[in-house]
Amino acid sequence: MGYVLIALIGGFASILANKGVAVFNDGLRPIVPEYLEGRMDKKALAATSFALSFGLVIGFGIPVSIAATIILIHSVLLGTDIIGTWSPAGKKGLIIAGVVGALYGIGIMVGLQVIVDVFAKLPVNFLSDLGKVGDPIIAAFAVFPAVVVGYQYGVKHGIFTLVASFIVRQIVQYYGVFNIGDSKISLNPEGMALLAGMIIMIVYATREKSDSKALDYKGLFGDRVARIKKNVIWLAIMGGLVAAATSYGLVAGDPISLNLLKDGKTAEAALTAFARGIGFIPLVATTALATGVYGPVGMTFVFVVGILTKNFILAFILGAVVIFLEVQLLELLAKMLDKFPGMRKAGDNIRTAMSKVLEVALLVGGMIAANAIAPKLGFFIVVGLYVLNKSSKKPIVDMAVGPVGAILVGVLVNVLSLIGLYH
Amino acid sequence: MLRIVVGGQIDKNMVASKIKEIGKDSVSVEIKSDIEAAMAIKAGTADYYFGACNTGGGGALAMAIALLGMGMCATVSMPGKIRSDEEITNVIKNGKKAFGFTPQHADQVIPVIMKEILK
Repeated sequence: MGYVLIALIGGFASILANKGVAVFNDGLRPIVPEYLEGRMDKKALAATSFALSFGLVIGFGIPVSIAATIILIHSVLLGTDIIGTWSPAGKKGLIIAGVVGALYGIGIMVGLQVIVDVFAKLPVNFLSDLGKVGDPIIAAFAVFPAVVVGYQYGVKHGIFTLVASFIVRQIVQYYGVFNIGDSKISLNPEGMALLAGMIIMIVYATREKSDSKALDYKGLFGDRVARIKKNVIWLAIMGGLVAAATSYGLVAGDPISLNLLKDGKTAEAALTAFARGIGFIPLVATTALATGVYGPVGMTFVFVVGILTKNFILAFILGAVVIFLEVQLLELLAKMLDKFPGMRKAGDNIRTAMSKVLEVALLVGGMIAANAIAPKLGFFIVVGLYVLNKSSKKPIVDMAVGPVGAILVGVLVNVLSLIGLYH
Repeated sequence: MLRIVVGGQIDKNMVASKIKEIGKDSVSVEIKSDIEAAMAIKAGTADYYFGACNTGGGGALAMAIALLGMGMCATVSMPGKIRSDEEITNVIKNGKKAFGFTPQHADQVIPVIMKEILK
């Protein structure tokens, strides 16, 4: 079933990219209308999509997926952006995109399994240690609302939020176990700390009111809104497929919830995915309104539905409904963001904060994992890579240095042990 | 005095302070929402647009491309790739007004852009 789902996602997403209905990379989204409206040719579009997405697949999607053995959705959907834009226009392109995309999806899944199997057969097995890459994230993800408040309203308010989340965390850790009838319910400290932080963040953000006049989105971008609405059925099916695959335990939408899911922390994963969804509303709503092109996972709420729904068929239906609602509410959301400029800023800051937290957590995680694989040598190599990457003209994303470094150390000790330089 | 707006999506404060640090008294820097920032360029109340996002072209430039057209916009860095100093200088000479990049490359690209537009 997993293969069927991933093939459907790959094929369908490639077709949507081919038709210019939805692309995953939000850097590619503004360029698609340039092609659709004839100001850019197919070749240039294909070249741009390759340049934008390929590095992220290799340098980010795949390493993070290997470390946790759940597929980070970026590995699949950045690839389908490339496949869709490279396939020719017209009916023929539609078929090519569908078939190649489906094969690509299966390829990613098989490929990851093969890599994991090969690693397991190596003389020095480092797979279990590699999983440590995600350890810091699992404890540290709850700080990001405090970071958002800090960015937006200054460090004092950020510290206040952090302290509040911290107090909630400690109280829940020691008093968060209830007995209701025969069943014992224990609240998760990090999850509750995150929830507390998010509530404070939202209270801060909604206090900011706007006095500027609302922009006329319909007048500015009417045709483009209509185009997204016209394609809503295809977008809904796509969203449903992603929700189903998430519910099936196949994919995750971001490295934080991916690592939480790996450890079976479903509620925390859902909450993080939800917060991330809020962060994506301003980005997706504005790029979608401005371009008429949507994203195959929309505002990423389909992942929340997928995480929370056990039955993948039900997840499919709910995921489709979520995307349908997102599309219908696009203009309304954009107007709301104008009314509450604090929320728009919070959305942007959530994404900044999450990538900052991830950058540190994955770097430290990569160091811990590398050091577990090869004591001392691991620290040496990962720190070296991180600093050197900073001064490279072709750097990989900061977030990926930890996982990539840990994998490199794992491979390196195997090579060294073959030539007798490591025991 | 050059009027610069920071639109785009993330790390706006960092981008704005780096611009101010380099431009000092010869620039005014204002942080806006991406749509307002792009409008300011269109209306001529600002000269240049800077924006950062994780892809260098999505959140950073989407509104600018939609409102100003691709001809005015340039992605000067993307994940895994920074355009060379000459390339950046050339896109400015070709009349681009809006620049998108990823925040982790801000230290490399902002000084190059500033040097050229302050000439």
